[in-house]
Amino acid sequence: MSETIHVLTVDDSASMRALLRAALTSRGYEVSQAVDGVAALEWLDGNGEAVDVIVTDINMPRMDGFRLIEELRGQARFRDCPILVLSTESSDEKKARARSAGATGWIVKPFDADKLDSALRRITH
Amino acid sequence: MVLAAAVGSPEEPRRITVMQGQVHVGGDRPEILTTILGSCIACCLYDPVARVGGMNHFLLAEPAAGSGTVADQNYGVYLMELLINQMMTGGGVKSRMKAHIYGGGNMHAGMTRIGDVNARFARSFLAAEGIPLVREETGGEWARRVEFDPMLGRTRCRIVAPGAVPAERAVARPMPGGGEVELF
Repeated sequence: MSETIHVLTVDDSASMRALLRAALTSRGYEVSQAVDGVAALEWLDGNGEAVDVIVTDINMPRMDGFRLIEELRGQARFRDCPILVLSTESSDEKKARARSAGATGWIVKPFDADKLDSALRRITH
Repeated sequence: MVLAAAVGSPEEPRRITVMQGQVHVGGDRPEILTTILGSCIACCLYDPVARVGGMNHFLLAEPAAGSGTVADQNYGVYLMELLINQMMTGGGVKSRMKAHIYGGGNMHAGMTRIGDVNARFARSFLAAEGIPLVREETGGEWARRVEFDPMLGRTRCRIVAPGAVPAERAVARPMPGGGEVELF
């Protein structure tokens, strides 16, 4: 893995994408962004090797976060890629569903940039 | 303006007060969502096809004096996203939603015009998300009472005495439970 951690964030909210980009780039991450699960899969199709970790929302149009995780875990090259869910949801049922789909962890919005940073470094090393 | 259920309706609307930091989306029974705002913003969203509406109520944290930073938008983005998500759970479609914003009064002369900062944030969020802003009553140096019928998308906004506003507190850091990390 290169020294700079490359994060793909997946969120349909432009405002949330802007917050995430600002928080992560200021902490030294390389950041790519997709607006939903479909866009993420399309982007990963051509750029997957470059990504070290994926941070995805759950509630998104076209393809939600659960389905995105399932799709990625079905591809050999993403079987071991860390995937964090970042969501306003916090129910045990939703977390269990994410874990079953293959998520690495769950962060409840509103996110704390330092806690997100710490979690990303922990799961990528 | 009549906000309640039609005259003769057997069911009186339930009044729900939306306090700072809260989100409420109407269900399938008549309700009136109400709140009192000083510098805070209440955003009302309505999907006219699904006939579902909701309201949130937030205040961005004021930046530290001399910090040169803008207000902390994380909490505002969170409460806007929560409102949109709950609207979608109730059958709303984001591309059909229309928005009203109220509040953003600058209640304390000589201090940062935090009400204006909050109103600017709300406008900018809605523009970024492609949600049309169809009504806005913000700014000034007064407090407002807002009532919103989430089934009809109708609002009433009145000026009220500043003393009617509950203490408003900016949330500088994520609310309890927010930002928690759970690794599986």
